Amino acid sequence: MNKKFLGLVPLLIFVLLCVFLYQGLFGNPRELQTGRLGQTMPAFELPDLMDEQKRWTDQDLLGEVYLLNVWGTWCPTCIAELGYLTELREQGVRIIGLYYEQAYDPDFGDQFDINYLRTDVQQMLARAGDPYQFNILDLERTLALDLGVSGAPETFLVDKNGKIILHHTGDINPRVWRSKFAPAIQELQP
Amino acid sequence: MIPEIGYFSLVLAMGLSLLLCIFPLWGAYTGNLRLMRTAPSLAVGQCLLVLFSFGVLIYITLTDDFTVAYVAHHSSSTLPWYYKVTSTWGGHEGAILLWLVMQASWTALVAMMSKSLPWVLRARVLGVLGFLGVGFMLYTLWMSSPFERLLPYYPVEGRDLNPLLQDPGMIIHPPLLYMGYVGLSVSFSFAIAALLTGKLDNTWAKWSRPWTMAAWGFLTLGITIGSWWAYAELGWGGWWFWDPVENASLMPWLVATALLHSLAITEKRGVFKSWTVLLAIAAFSLCLLGTFIVRSGIIVSVHAFATDPDRGLFILSFLALVVGGSLALYGLRVSQVYSEGRYKLVSREVGLWVNNIFLVVATLIVLLGTLLPMIHKELGLGTISIGVPFFNQMFAILIVPFAILMGMAPMLRWKQNKLPPLAKKGVGILVATIVITSAWLFSSFDEISTLTYLATALAVWICIATVVDLVEKVSVHPSTAQGLKRLGMSYWAMVLGHVGIAFVIASVTLTSAYSVERSVVMKKGETATLNDYEYRFEGVNEIRGPNYGGHAGEVTVFKDGEYVTLLHAEKRLYDVGMQFMTEAAIDDGFYRDLYLALGESMGNGAWSLRIYHKPYVRWMWLGGILISLAGFIVLADKRYRRRKQTSVEHG
Repeated sequence: MNKKFLGLVPLLIFVLLCVFLYQGLFGNPRELQTGRLGQTMPAFELPDLMDEQKRWTDQDLLGEVYLLNVWGTWCPTCIAELGYLTELREQGVRIIGLYYEQAYDPDFGDQFDINYLRTDVQQMLARAGDPYQFNILDLERTLALDLGVSGAPETFLVDKNGKIILHHTGDINPRVWRSKFAPAIQELQP
Repeated sequence: MIPEIGYFSLVLAMGLSLLLCIFPLWGAYTGNLRLMRTAPSLAVGQCLLVLFSFGVLIYITLTDDFTVAYVAHHSSSTLPWYYKVTSTWGGHEGAILLWLVMQASWTALVAMMSKSLPWVLRARVLGVLGFLGVGFMLYTLWMSSPFERLLPYYPVEGRDLNPLLQDPGMIIHPPLLYMGYVGLSVSFSFAIAALLTGKLDNTWAKWSRPWTMAAWGFLTLGITIGSWWAYAELGWGGWWFWDPVENASLMPWLVATALLHSLAITEKRGVFKSWTVLLAIAAFSLCLLGTFIVRSGIIVSVHAFATDPDRGLFILSFLALVVGGSLALYGLRVSQVYSEGRYKLVSREVGLWVNNIFLVVATLIVLLGTLLPMIHKELGLGTISIGVPFFNQMFAILIVPFAILMGMAPMLRWKQNKLPPLAKKGVGILVATIVITSAWLFSSFDEISTLTYLATALAVWICIATVVDLVEKVSVHPSTAQGLKRLGMSYWAMVLGHVGIAFVIASVTLTSAYSVERSVVMKKGETATLNDYEYRFEGVNEIRGPNYGGHAGEVTVFKDGEYVTLLHAEKRLYDVGMQFMTEAAIDDGFYRDLYLALGESMGNGAWSLRIYHKPYVRWMWLGGILISLAGFIVLADKRYRRRKQTSVEHG
């Protein structure tokens, strides 16, 4: 075997790796994580966070473009983005919260105190800004699982027919909004 | 004005680096001794300037100069002074400056400690280190300066240091890890200098070995403390998650471990030369790749560092230049290298060679697991995720032959070994292993799975084999004292390293198999039981720290009715960032840890708590410390402290 060629094998492998790293740098690893992208919102029926009698279904959300923001008061980044999301709401963006409770464990369900949670949420929204039209409470995390949510905050952009256009993990800030959400929303406008 | 002085000092340092890169290399190429002789003073000068610049950053942080963007983003006036110092490497820009400090210090150390090296080699090693210095300084000055101002509008108060980082572990973890990463650049420089010289004899292996050992010792300690920090600070009782950032530090460690063993063969027997050079290049390349992964945002990680494609592009270009260049040089030179030594199938050479194969395969598994999701996506095959089970399973398979070999390999002789006496010894050790493992496990636990038994037996096997070998090596001498004295530091390093690995294997196995946890909701005075321990909730107090408020839950622990300890678990709310942090309470013990995290208030004075019982978890860090000691103990070896000698011995 040609020894000269063998010596160059590591270099060839490395160059190949660099090509992928270069592509990966300009691809967006955060975007394509959900298998739901391009599909419609999963069907669900869940209570309102503040009013147990009120129930929301996927049909209620149709007709208008909206952001579905997965959040919780236990999540520092979620609190951090409340301020900017509130600004967006004031600019006319429709934002619906999907409340993701972390402390609740289905095995210890009976100990869960919904009133405590509501006070906590109200205080937090009063302090940091309230961007939400309303909040859906997903205590068993069924909708979150269907959507492929892996943490919080995560935000979905959904069009008026219920199709999921974007899935963003991490906070929404002016830079993310300008580079990602604004162009996508622009495209949705006729 | 003061931050600008810090910046200017870095500019000057980069000027010296540039000269350090050009003069000695040019001098070595043309045979100009005067040019080569500039290297040490340039290296030391550059180091002093970088240290000064770092001192400036510490000064402006301590004096709360919030006109500087870095200070405003990572510190606050209420932060205790020691965490203010920590904040200088808590963010991206400062961390890179810390990297520079390490890089410059290693370079200066090499300059001062290499007086007995031939000038041509010395100049080349320092020249290559100078080149690396230029790259990192350019990066700092150009796209991540910690001295940038926020003028004219600056905040009156800083944004505070991330509470996760406000922990003693964070004070020492990054500096140790960087010491390791950057230390491997010394092994790299020795390899490149040897390739440039074209003389791949065992001299370079001999010189590179103590530096590599030291760097590897720091890397081991850094990783160990990182894992301990995740366990103590994150409040979820875990210690390793196969996260891309964790993998980024594991890969260089695995390759550096292979390199250590390979350097030993190259030095002693003059074989595997080109392979050893390749490992030295690979170890540092993986450090750079790790930096790229962590700093570019190319891969999603739970550790959210500053991510920025421009920075990523710079590091990638630098990576391509350094690694591509050295691999090209390697490809050109390697065909001229011939091995001298001869050896048989059953010999220490082959034992070490197989060890290298295992370590490299392990590295490839981590590399593939880390990068495959991205490559898969780039090839348009959709998204996949490779999780913890993949890594765990692959490592579980690899560790079996690796551990068996680790026990026996030290008994092998160079060149060749007869099989029958070795096999006889192996059977004896196997019997002892079965007896001890059974006695240990059956007396400690009620249920034992086959896998747990096997994995524990591997750890026991390594320990017994190491002790048997030690006893044998001592007993060939007339007296024990004399025998112990004759064993070199490298041998003791091997003993420590192998026993350390055995501790880690035992700990990982037993903790994974026998840890139990329980979520409970308790009111004051109520009790919960977990694994013979009774936990009595004593209620929650308000607490107030320098920059946080919160609650502290007190839990008294009893065993068989007797008081064991009082656990104090905190839930903190940091003032500036309004972030919650869990400070778990840990009662550590040699055989088990009791771990308690305070959850939420459930109203009516009831609180949720999470209790963990973790047997043998502390052995993991004990093992890590033993392994890193192996790296440092070699430095005490007499062979490496002799000064003027090589020119006579090796010509």
